[in-house]
Amino acid sequence: MTVQHVASTSATSEVPKTSVWARIWQQDAPGYLFLLPWFIGFFGLTLGPMISSLYLSFTKFDLLTSPDWVGAGNYVRMFTNDPKFAASMRVTFFFVIFSVPLKLAFALGVALLLNRGMKGLPLYRALFYLPSLLGASVAIAILWRQIFAGDGLVNKFLSVFGIVGPSWISNPNYSLWTLIILAIWQFGSPMIIFLAGLRQIPQDMYEAASLDGASKWRQFWKITLPLLTPVVFFNAIIQTIEAFKSFTPAFIISGGTGNPINSTLFYTLYLYQEAFGFFRMGYASALAWVLLAIVAAFTAFSFLTSKYWVHYDD
Amino acid sequence: MTDAPMKLTVVGAEAPAWRKRALTILSHALLIGASILMLYPLLWMLAASFRPENEIFTSASIIPSSWSIDSYFRGWNGLRTSFSVFFTNSFIVSISSVIGNVFACSLAAFAFARLEFRGRKIWFALMLMTLMLPYQVTLIPQYVLFRQLGWVDTFLPLIVPKFLAADAFFIFLMVQFFRGIPRELDEAAMMDGAGPWRIYWKIMLPLSTPVLATAAIFTFIWTWDDFFGPLIYLNQMRDYTVMLGLRTFTDSTGMSDYGGLFAMSVLSLVPIFLFFLIFQRLLIEGIATTGMKR
Amino acid sequence: MSFTLSRRQFLLSGTAALAAGALGTLPSWAQSANLRLIFWGGQARADRTYGVVDLFTKDHSDVSIDGEFLGWADYWPKVATQTAGGNQPDIIQMDYRYIGEYARRGSLASLDSFVGNGLDVSSFDEDQLRNGTIDGKLIGVSLGVAAGATVINTKVLDDAGIDIDPMRWTYDDLLTQGPKVSQKTNGATAMAPDGSGIELLFENWLRQKGKALYADGQPAFAPEDVTEWFELWAELRDAKAIISPDEQAIDTGQLETAPLVRGKSAMNFTTSNQLVAYQTLVPDPLGIGIFPATAPDSKGGHYRNSSQYFALSSTSAAPEKAVEFINFFVNSPEAAAILGVERGVPASSAMRDAVAPTLDERSQMVVKYIADLGEIAGDVPPTPPASAGEVEVALKTKSQEVAFGAQSPADAGPAFYDQVIESLGRAS
Repeated sequence: MTVQHVASTSATSEVPKTSVWARIWQQDAPGYLFLLPWFIGFFGLTLGPMISSLYLSFTKFDLLTSPDWVGAGNYVRMFTNDPKFAASMRVTFFFVIFSVPLKLAFALGVALLLNRGMKGLPLYRALFYLPSLLGASVAIAILWRQIFAGDGLVNKFLSVFGIVGPSWISNPNYSLWTLIILAIWQFGSPMIIFLAGLRQIPQDMYEAASLDGASKWRQFWKITLPLLTPVVFFNAIIQTIEAFKSFTPAFIISGGTGNPINSTLFYTLYLYQEAFGFFRMGYASALAWVLLAIVAAFTAFSFLTSKYWVHYDD
Repeated sequence: MTDAPMKLTVVGAEAPAWRKRALTILSHALLIGASILMLYPLLWMLAASFRPENEIFTSASIIPSSWSIDSYFRGWNGLRTSFSVFFTNSFIVSISSVIGNVFACSLAAFAFARLEFRGRKIWFALMLMTLMLPYQVTLIPQYVLFRQLGWVDTFLPLIVPKFLAADAFFIFLMVQFFRGIPRELDEAAMMDGAGPWRIYWKIMLPLSTPVLATAAIFTFIWTWDDFFGPLIYLNQMRDYTVMLGLRTFTDSTGMSDYGGLFAMSVLSLVPIFLFFLIFQRLLIEGIATTGMKR
Repeated sequence: MSFTLSRRQFLLSGTAALAAGALGTLPSWAQSANLRLIFWGGQARADRTYGVVDLFTKDHSDVSIDGEFLGWADYWPKVATQTAGGNQPDIIQMDYRYIGEYARRGSLASLDSFVGNGLDVSSFDEDQLRNGTIDGKLIGVSLGVAAGATVINTKVLDDAGIDIDPMRWTYDDLLTQGPKVSQKTNGATAMAPDGSGIELLFENWLRQKGKALYADGQPAFAPEDVTEWFELWAELRDAKAIISPDEQAIDTGQLETAPLVRGKSAMNFTTSNQLVAYQTLVPDPLGIGIFPATAPDSKGGHYRNSSQYFALSSTSAAPEKAVEFINFFVNSPEAAAILGVERGVPASSAMRDAVAPTLDERSQMVVKYIADLGEIAGDVPPTPPASAGEVEVALKTKSQEVAFGAQSPADAGPAFYDQVIESLGRAS
């Protein structure tokens, strides 16, 4: 992350300052002033609850009476004696590994297709965004059953070829896949972000490349993709964080149970059950901070490697 | 990278016209096929809203056996408070959130993307961390906090955080886009004696229409779709948002008005769909601006 | 008449309630009181509830009541958040799974001091009072009697030529006659859902064997009982008397996912107060009967549960007024006429007589079912121990492991038993 010195370059061009305060004012103040709303929100609204939850993760807290300090007990139990924790980890990692790359590939593919300046473009764009508009409502749960149940659309289609399919949505071998498909189907948000990124690539670069006789394929690899890497990087990080925290689809489709046989017991669904179903907010808080550690490690790793493949203009 | 000579011959340029046309037709066919897949849920929901109640879950066909718009009338006034109130509330919350988010997040993003100050990387990392903690565990401390502020039972817990850039997603998004704007522009402005505020206001914002439009679209839609915040902080039905009103149609343990649910679900999509259609134009305008200034 | 207040007044009273709770004292609000009431349910229940609220506040100009209702899934996180945040409503609708959790942690007030002194329970059924009593204190006022029941699609059974007495039918009937439904419908519909994961049904079966789910906070059954239970259902499954594991797993507890509603089974194992709700979603006429018996004359499996309760917050600023409303809700004939049996058959015999003539056909069937249960039913079990909710979830998951063949009944029995011990141990 190389950042040039907007404030300091302006400082050097002026009369040299001697006072420390003046230097701070010149160098640091603009950044902090621009961040002021965020600082108020962070210290006023966000940080307190975060620290509270960190404290609660070292307690036994049943929501209704005061928390009891148990030290690292919650964390010890998690890693030594909790099969549901292990199960939810497996489910979540499986979900992240398959849903994120597929969703991103799909979103990028469609965005490229929609960026070609075809007729009816706004309409297509709106249609493709539609599934994401629906969010995760009760209607989606019902719809997904219509499609993936034993007598659903998928099996009706398969029966044309004489194949008798299982009830995909409720069979422990496939139920997680129906949720992965749901995640991919709602690819609208990364698609829009990719589109916005594509829009920001100056057209004259393509024009110049065309004059040089570069093929579309080569233009994609030499211009589009490198200039899009900040957006690819953003989408990859955000989608991964979101996938790790994914809650609502599994909640509505499994009715909050994570069944069949815990095959859709997403990590945050388990956390939610512990917190609000079984009154173990202390344990749930510990679960949350373990998740944060995993996601933060992944994100830090991504940032460290980003300097090798993400190209910023600055 | 652009000055690297590109010697490969162009496939498309030498291809005959029929091939180009075939490619276009193929693209359209692909897009139309995919659109149908995307549209199916809406069609199903539309059909369900016109269906007799006891047919919704038993009938496999998408065409109802009989059509009726009863569900719409029943749904609109079905709850103790009319849906016109819910729509008004949702608009208030969503529009305020859009204004707050676009403004506050772009300020913070400008600082992270363009200004040099001590502690920048640490603050950025802390900001990203706020994205990673599941909300389920901060819910209760946050509720206690808002209650002490006297904000429970008002829209403030839903709106004020947006004006304080509480959603790191948008800051991060804007940072990525701001960094794609050529730095020569700011430097030129600085030579002319422009301060950070002028650079932000006169250069960054006008050049960032695509990402600002994206942020506006997402904020509007996500705020509109959110039911958990309203669920926790709003107690009186006259303060409910559309999504919370929709949740009230169904109770898994007793009698529910599914017809009304689907009718109102269809209607609740209209504003966000329109908002999307209007704001996506800004995505397109974005190129013209960027290209021209460049 | 109106039961809404301005937001400022509302906030003030909420703050007062917190202050009162924090100081451990209750100020006397002799003049006027603003009460908050929260319940789960759909619009049909809300209309009836608010009807009673309006009726009550018309006669009590010194009381105003803010009502709030949510669907079941949204209700519990909200109540938990409000309680933990010191902003609990005065009157809270409670379920038997949660009332013990809240009461034992001091969030709900004992009503004992109000009995005969604002709260009249003289015409209440004795078992309904016992259901609402936790650790010797009356906490919940039953809003309706409900019992385990089989809701039956009579048309499907008739078409398949099945002949059972719904008040005497047995697991043997299910095994021998069940396959006829599958044959008749070419496998599209089975006679019954897979009940092996339904805790209420398991408990009923245990009680018929003279055992129980819990006694003194410990399991009152043996691992072998669980194995036998899973074997019973494995046999039914093999005979195609019940639906496949795939189909059963779609049922996530929501009404619209029930096999009966989706046309996959001719019945559903549920509670009696659900009959009316099921009927709105199923085109064929529905009937009601008992859970299958282990033998035609087997008794004691069923008991008269309470569908839900009203409970009083321990931080209420105006407990007398709140109790006055609860009393009106369960004891006034005008209120009973509005409420009907939507929450279950009234717990008070006087109110049962009052509502009887106003009921529609399905509701009358429910009343009759509860009455007919008289000689079949046994005593109510004690309030389930803390973490019972987790056990209920665990049984469902374990039943799926057996049904999908991931574990044999012989292994599943001891495995489930160990889970129960573990869960109950964690709560203490």
